[in-house]
Amino acid sequence: MTPEMRKAPPAPLAPVSFDIARPFETTLDNGLRVIVFENQRLPLVSYRLAFQSGDVHDPEGHTGMTSAMASMLSEGTRNYSSRQLAEKIERLGASVSASASDDFTVLAASALSLYGSEILQLMAEMALRPTFPESELDLYRRNMIEHLKFQRSQPGFLANEQAARLIFGSHPYSKVSPKADDIEKLDRQTLADFHASMLVPNNAMFIAVGDVNAEELVKELNEQFGDWQQGSAPVGKFAPPPERTARSLTIVDRPGSAQSNIVLTNLGVNRTHPDYFPLLVMNQVLGAGASSRVFMNLREEKGYTYGAYTRLESKKLAGDFEATAEVRTAVTGDSLKEFFYELDRIRTDTVGDQELADAKSFLTGVFPIRAETQEGLTNLIVNQYLYGLPEDYLQTYRAKVDAITLEDVKRVAIEHVRPSEMAIVIVGDAKEVLPQAQGYAETVEVFDTEGNKK
Amino acid sequence: MAETFKLPALKVEEYKLENGLRVVLDPDNAIPVVSVAVYYNVGSRNERDGRTGFAHLFEHMMFQGSENVPKAGHFQHIMKAGGTMNGTTSSERTNYYETLPANQLPLALWLESDRMRSLAVTQENLDNQREAVKEEKRLRYDNQPYGQIFDLIAEMIYKNFANAHSTIGSMEHLDAATVEDVQEFFRIYYAPNNAVIVLSGAFDIDEAKNLIETYFGEIPSQPLPPALDVSEPTEVAATYREWEDHLAPFPAFLIGWKIPPRRTSDFYALYLAGKILYDGDSSRLYQKLVKGEESVIQLFGFTDERRGPSSIFVGAIPKPDKDLSKIRETIMQEIHDLSAHGPTAEEMEKIENQLVNDAVRMRQSSMSRAQHIAEFALYDGDPTLINSELDDLLAITAEQIRHAVGVYLNTDNRALLDVVPAAKGVAV
Repeated sequence: MTPEMRKAPPAPLAPVSFDIARPFETTLDNGLRVIVFENQRLPLVSYRLAFQSGDVHDPEGHTGMTSAMASMLSEGTRNYSSRQLAEKIERLGASVSASASDDFTVLAASALSLYGSEILQLMAEMALRPTFPESELDLYRRNMIEHLKFQRSQPGFLANEQAARLIFGSHPYSKVSPKADDIEKLDRQTLADFHASMLVPNNAMFIAVGDVNAEELVKELNEQFGDWQQGSAPVGKFAPPPERTARSLTIVDRPGSAQSNIVLTNLGVNRTHPDYFPLLVMNQVLGAGASSRVFMNLREEKGYTYGAYTRLESKKLAGDFEATAEVRTAVTGDSLKEFFYELDRIRTDTVGDQELADAKSFLTGVFPIRAETQEGLTNLIVNQYLYGLPEDYLQTYRAKVDAITLEDVKRVAIEHVRPSEMAIVIVGDAKEVLPQAQGYAETVEVFDTEGNKK
Repeated sequence: MAETFKLPALKVEEYKLENGLRVVLDPDNAIPVVSVAVYYNVGSRNERDGRTGFAHLFEHMMFQGSENVPKAGHFQHIMKAGGTMNGTTSSERTNYYETLPANQLPLALWLESDRMRSLAVTQENLDNQREAVKEEKRLRYDNQPYGQIFDLIAEMIYKNFANAHSTIGSMEHLDAATVEDVQEFFRIYYAPNNAVIVLSGAFDIDEAKNLIETYFGEIPSQPLPPALDVSEPTEVAATYREWEDHLAPFPAFLIGWKIPPRRTSDFYALYLAGKILYDGDSSRLYQKLVKGEESVIQLFGFTDERRGPSSIFVGAIPKPDKDLSKIRETIMQEIHDLSAHGPTAEEMEKIENQLVNDAVRMRQSSMSRAQHIAEFALYDGDPTLINSELDDLLAITAEQIRHAVGVYLNTDNRALLDVVPAAKGVAV
């Protein structure tokens, strides 16, 4: 190879196509939707029993109820104690866990496929027959209260807590964590009733990926879940997120902090919004990765931070746009300056042709990498079905990214990146941070790490 | 189950270029994706006193440009091709890796070869990355509660500087690093004969061999780096330290033992003992402390796997007002019990299933295969260990576990680090 030949990057080889097949779908008599994606590459299975109910459905005054209910599913059932469940699952080398997010509650299992039937039986036991034992609930309450104290020592949590409050107001997405009072008043009967109303088959879907046979699996599902009675899951009524009109500064005073955790945020869009794809591309140009603008500026040029990013969080009902970095305290103000420079620039100047092409080829190229592992493929499929995305979503994803134009990017930047109404949240040493940051906002408030206004 | 479950062997092919670069090919066309991993035989253990953190700072410099790739061009080329990439530094090695759509293999080889043959270093780029690394240190260690405890206990366990000092290093030493240091380090350690390159995923074997020869074949080899002594006296001699952590909300403690090197049967036995003691909700210590006694908020443990003397840790964040010494006594009782009676048949069955499950899962992604193979090639000179390590682990008996726990863990020869929230500590 001559030095001349090394000057430019080599041309790619012939492209290799990558297609994701459509899964098998059916519905059990009780309304449980079943989606099976057979893939015999390795002797593994991933199962998800997913419910269209999440933390947003916590009853009024009971923040944390859905998450508590999910956590307690593994802490005792009609046939097994908490310890027996743990032993049965781990003796198979498998994992089964339940958790709630804002919008969904999911039981997730993965195992060697030769233990598929055993794992399915344990999932049914946890989903259908939990007993919420008083002693385990008591332990959950006490551990959770300590956990709530612990998370207040972590700057990332404190920043998220304020950002969610400022953007979502009275909408339940504003609550990123329960309070000790919420946990103290959890009681066994309320949890059991809540479980009975929420975890019903017509509110659920069962998704299987991996080394399974769809026909046999449906037979087993009928055995394990066929007698499960329908019900009506709670329907939420949610206050809309507040309209913001001015830029605000919220500092969480963490004396002695070695860094400032910065979050700049405004309201975004939900997962099914028509602007989702142009926003994905815009965000890739602006800040999603290590070759994006804010990283190149704040880290590679200025050395203010280990990483600076922008992020779109699009949930079922609403979403937000965020720019984040952890910077050394002395350059907090300078970092805000560079962030706002980039946030303004993406709105005023049209993105370059090459920048747009690079962003799109990243998004289309990484798609097969994300589907390489069974858990990765399962997550893609679960998201498609839980968010109710089109049937051909995974098959048309790359074409939709490719269709985005320079005008699309500029339009969604102007519409959804709104520096003039952003909430600035900074967790750091207030006496150092305030003088640097107060000039960037019209209002200023300071909190302590306990969440009390100073 | 082990008898009935045979993992198909990966068809791993190994060869060496004339300049000494070791190449391993692991073809698998299931998904049209290829991963490239380049492992250099240099880690923080090779650092000299006064330059702690340098191997890692150097890793950052590998993304700052080479003869034909501008600063940050590495990120940009990979990402615009639809790939992911990173680099990491440990005590043992520095690795660089990327996963790309299969047809972009030439790009990965062009980028990796260009920085292996012609890294470009400027004062400006060094200063800039020094700041990025300092922010990484603040983010991960200095500004996190309990963020520094694993580095602190390593200093207590190991007596040899090569093993004892942290990979992230000290701010003073980072400040002291010069452009000349970077050039010198590059010359000594970043030669083809001090590296391994692994390709895993979708590629044509002959095409890959041609491309590797084209891009790497002419990079000159260098004299081998100076020999390294990582030997340790066996004793830890019951060291104790109290650490005031002004970010920690609760007291915590960490116990550490020095144990034999990776891939020895004692290391394997202790790795499995760790699974029995602290891994998962059915583990002995979880059932004893988080459940039973209800005395701890969080329990954790892991093994630090090295080519030389390695280590194993158990730590806990107790609930407020719990007696820390009593919790430690419970831990030592469980260890004693394991050394007296060994694992149960149920525990051995659990371990066996978990090992098989882990081994199958590791094979899913081309990047995880490439990384595991690279370690075996670099550390052991034998990439085919990827196919036999599961059997080596499954061959460990209950008696071997019992015995190793008795020799290495059931002993006062341990380091103990107590974390005291500074605000609640004794007078400062």
